[in-house]
Amino acid sequence: MVNMAWLDTQDRHLGHYVNGKWLKPEHRNSVPCRDPITGENLASCPQAQAEDVAAAVEAARTAWENWSGLPGASRAQYLTRLAKMIQKHQRLLWTLESLVTGRAVREVRDRDIPLAQQLLQWHAVQAYTQEETLAGWEPMGVIGLILSPTFSFLEMMWRICPALAVGCTVVVLVPPGSPTPLLLAQLAGELGSFPGILNVINGPASLGPILASQPGVQKVTFCGAVEEGRVLRRTLAGQGAELGLALGAESLLVLTEAADVDSAVEGVVDAAWSDRSAGGLRLLIQESVWDETMRRLQERMARLRGGRGLDGAVDMGARGAAAHDLAQRYVREAQSQGAQVFQAGDVPSVSPFFPPTLVSDLPPASPCTQAEVPWPVVVASPFRTAKEALAVANGTPRGGSASVWSERLGQALELGYGLRVGTVWINAHGLRHPEVPTGGCKESGSSWHGGPDGLYEYLRPSGTPARLPSLSENLNYDTFGLAVPLTLPSGPEIGPSPAAPYGLFIGGRFQAPGARSSRCIQDSKGNLQAYVAEGGAKDIRGAVEAAHQAAPGWVSQPPGARASLLWALASALERRESAFTSALERHGVELKTAKVEVELSARRLRAWGARAQAQGHLLQVAELRGPVLRLREPLGVLAIVCPDEWPLLAFASLLAAALAHGNAVVLVPSGVCPIPALEVCQDMATLLPAGLVNVVTGDRDHLTRCLALHQDVQALWYFGSAQGSQFVEWASAGNLKPVWVNRGRPRAWDQEAQGAGPELGLRAARTKALWLPMGD
Amino acid sequence: MGGRIPTRGSRRGQRARGQRARGQRAGGGGQRARGAEGPGAEVAGPAPRGTGAGRARRSRGGGTQEGLGGGELGVEEPATAAVARAMSARNLGTELDLSWISKIQVNQPAVLRRAEQIQARRMVKKEWQAAWLLKAVTFIDLTTLSGDDTSSNVQRLCYKAKYPIREDLLKALNVHDKGLTTAAVCVYPARVCDAVKALKAAGSTIPVASVATGFPAGQTHLKTRLEEIRLAVEDGATEIDVVINRTLVLTGQWEGSDFIKTSTGKETVNATFPVAIVMLRAIRDFFWKTGNKIGFKPAGGIRSAKDSLAWLSLIKEELGDEWLTPELFRIGASTLLSDIERQIYHHVTGRYAAYHDLPMS
Repeated sequence: MVNMAWLDTQDRHLGHYVNGKWLKPEHRNSVPCRDPITGENLASCPQAQAEDVAAAVEAARTAWENWSGLPGASRAQYLTRLAKMIQKHQRLLWTLESLVTGRAVREVRDRDIPLAQQLLQWHAVQAYTQEETLAGWEPMGVIGLILSPTFSFLEMMWRICPALAVGCTVVVLVPPGSPTPLLLAQLAGELGSFPGILNVINGPASLGPILASQPGVQKVTFCGAVEEGRVLRRTLAGQGAELGLALGAESLLVLTEAADVDSAVEGVVDAAWSDRSAGGLRLLIQESVWDETMRRLQERMARLRGGRGLDGAVDMGARGAAAHDLAQRYVREAQSQGAQVFQAGDVPSVSPFFPPTLVSDLPPASPCTQAEVPWPVVVASPFRTAKEALAVANGTPRGGSASVWSERLGQALELGYGLRVGTVWINAHGLRHPEVPTGGCKESGSSWHGGPDGLYEYLRPSGTPARLPSLSENLNYDTFGLAVPLTLPSGPEIGPSPAAPYGLFIGGRFQAPGARSSRCIQDSKGNLQAYVAEGGAKDIRGAVEAAHQAAPGWVSQPPGARASLLWALASALERRESAFTSALERHGVELKTAKVEVELSARRLRAWGARAQAQGHLLQVAELRGPVLRLREPLGVLAIVCPDEWPLLAFASLLAAALAHGNAVVLVPSGVCPIPALEVCQDMATLLPAGLVNVVTGDRDHLTRCLALHQDVQALWYFGSAQGSQFVEWASAGNLKPVWVNRGRPRAWDQEAQGAGPELGLRAARTKALWLPMGD
Repeated sequence: MGGRIPTRGSRRGQRARGQRARGQRAGGGGQRARGAEGPGAEVAGPAPRGTGAGRARRSRGGGTQEGLGGGELGVEEPATAAVARAMSARNLGTELDLSWISKIQVNQPAVLRRAEQIQARRMVKKEWQAAWLLKAVTFIDLTTLSGDDTSSNVQRLCYKAKYPIREDLLKALNVHDKGLTTAAVCVYPARVCDAVKALKAAGSTIPVASVATGFPAGQTHLKTRLEEIRLAVEDGATEIDVVINRTLVLTGQWEGSDFIKTSTGKETVNATFPVAIVMLRAIRDFFWKTGNKIGFKPAGGIRSAKDSLAWLSLIKEELGDEWLTPELFRIGASTLLSDIERQIYHHVTGRYAAYHDLPMS
């Protein structure tokens, strides 16, 4: 066997692959790499320690100096060579992967390996045209990639290809006992020219924080289970590296009465019982075709074959004892809650094998309905109408991928657009292509791979300084921003009597704060300028509710209508230019600068209004007859904590980008100078739909805490202190909302790149890929 | 769509003729039709555009064929070719229910994907492959449909049908005493006499099938088409492949049948997997609705042993083992058998056969 021969070349003792050579340090705990079916010990893998991680990152950092400076064409050439290398050794790759993971060799051989080559080739083309198409962006630096045991080497390829293409170098932390990534690193290393751009070390995911805290690591990407991702998010708060998460493996299939049921049943097989996906499937079946579908499903299940992955005629292999036990626990639990369990198929009845399982009649409120469905379980539940299907489908915290089966075009598109997931296939399931971005939303994480979105994951706007850790060890997450500082009378009011205190702008009108107290805003000379409301948790709750109510209406507005409202707001700003200028002047801004700020603010509103019209695009995928739509969907309710500097410009820039992409927003304006923002609210009250924009003033730390911990805020941008940033990152683990923080660093809002660059546009919406195969 | 017309003079034959007449009436007037589902699916799917002809055939009448004994042949039982031949029930027809047809949904891209998968997912090797190939032999309607057919090449064909694989190869596989033959020989009506005579001389009871009714277009008068069947049956044909009146089908007037074919084998596009998937699913639906098992015969373009295995696995996956009998599944082919024999030769000897190593048909 070619795979055994390869293991023998390593004396059955694998190491780490660092800097183009094997690294086999002494005195490490070693973990056996076992055949998941026989339990036979194939080789031993050393567990990395901190110094091994450091050595790998050091190698990647050294390699980065050279690699990132190369012209794109040279990187393209390297990736093409690696693709050829894989082609030459594909037999070794597929037998090794199937042997150690237990997956059906058919899937690895016919799908994964060709896709790995396609990935390299497509990204080679992207590298070649990088200077032209990705001008204004630069590679981030060293990327850390953490894989969990259930993910195949293909998940690694999806991420290292774009990272290497754009000029980053990679350190991959794989669970011990998965030699395929090591083999890939060896193949890449043996190309000779650039050792150290791809380093693979073995170790548990608990080494993640050590990897992330190494100097030079700019981003850490994690694929694995949701809870592990949550823990990592909390641990890495305030660390130097940015964190990208791709979590969970459950998928969804919606089968309507207008579907080709037999083909949809094949879709279920593709999704859950063909070793294609790492997770289980949630299956929604329209009531009128429930019986017919169940009969066909059960009939089809009987014909599935399970067995040793290396057998070419096997549909399902085994995934090791852990996956078996997980499935077993889930099925027992479901049974105890009153569900019907159907198992069939020609599968060995010994331990690591688990038969294809169909669970139905699970009570809607049972814990199993909420839990993630494990491999190889399909949980079927009925629905009555398409509307109900959407409600049920969107009613879980998961947002990975889904397919819709219907021969009615209108219905299929309605469902496809309505599902809150990263990928939707119409009348197909599980198609992948390098050109099509794949990602998720909600708790499936917000990192992307494939397509243009996959490239931006590893790029930053040119000139952005490298990310450094801003960790404050003694930040107490439990108390940060917990208490609202009391506002006591602060001496006599001098000067002209100030106007009535500004309220909170919630639901389209100014309201008194729940706490019924106000804070005073001083001008640059220390004189009292105005009173603004002291917002609190209840006000944030109200604002988020109002935003949620306004969001569906705003999303359904055509981009043209959004643009015209933003333009109207810009005109209103210009009409009251003198009022804004004087408000800014009182805060010590020079007249000239103030004028520029007002003018720029109006311009930003107009520019984003114009850009709103050019969203999303069409991809043409080679194997597929029909298009793939790359949709840019709003994040939903977006909370923005504006910076203290540039009180009007930053507010307008962030607001415009958010609104143009269809989001409803809750804003916390500049703390020292909130008046211009509140003045804009007076215009918004008459122009914009009620609740679309909500502005809450008050103690920034307290409001940030409320927003970051709010489960129904779908994304958060924070521009404030380093500590606040760290807290936001920590708290976002709750609903895994995407966050964008500045870590206490000021941005040049008046500069085009930082104030209105494409980065804002990327952050303000999420991608959804909608596959539309055609044919009659 | 007519039935495969049974043996001469039998009671069964009388009934079948009656049925056939009914079928025609129903087709013409839409009064009564049998088995709307079978051909319906074929038309609902992408079939008619390329492949054109659906054909009908009757399950074997008579029961004269000796049983070959042995159990069901599966991948688990290497190299034991054995066929159990049971009479499958006739399709007595049902009331025409056009809603069955109108409710059918076929998603072409999904069916194409499935067709691709089916060819890659069940690759059997070694002794399992040999067993499957021998099994495939028992489904072959060994066919010659050329304008220049004469009694001599029909005779050769019949001999090949009786001895499809070289005796020494069968011995090596230890299946020489199983009486392995092809399912039938299939010739033009004018050659039925020759075939019957040749088979009788060879001491074989392999049935003779005849194409009829204006094959391959079917565009002749009803009267001559019926007469053609009658004459073929008189000559000794026990199975008739009838070309349906596609004019009626394309205008939505259905007929029933016991057996459906992908095509005549004379079209530009013949038996393809996507078409077959749609037809097989229709057969399954019809079985679930009425309890009648309709047979299936892909014809045309199946030349390699590998193709034939894909067809067998398709039947096994979509309909199940119960359809893997000559009563319900046939492969219409002329050159397939020699490729199968070639593969068996290689399996047994480990060498590739020369052209002259294997007897021609």
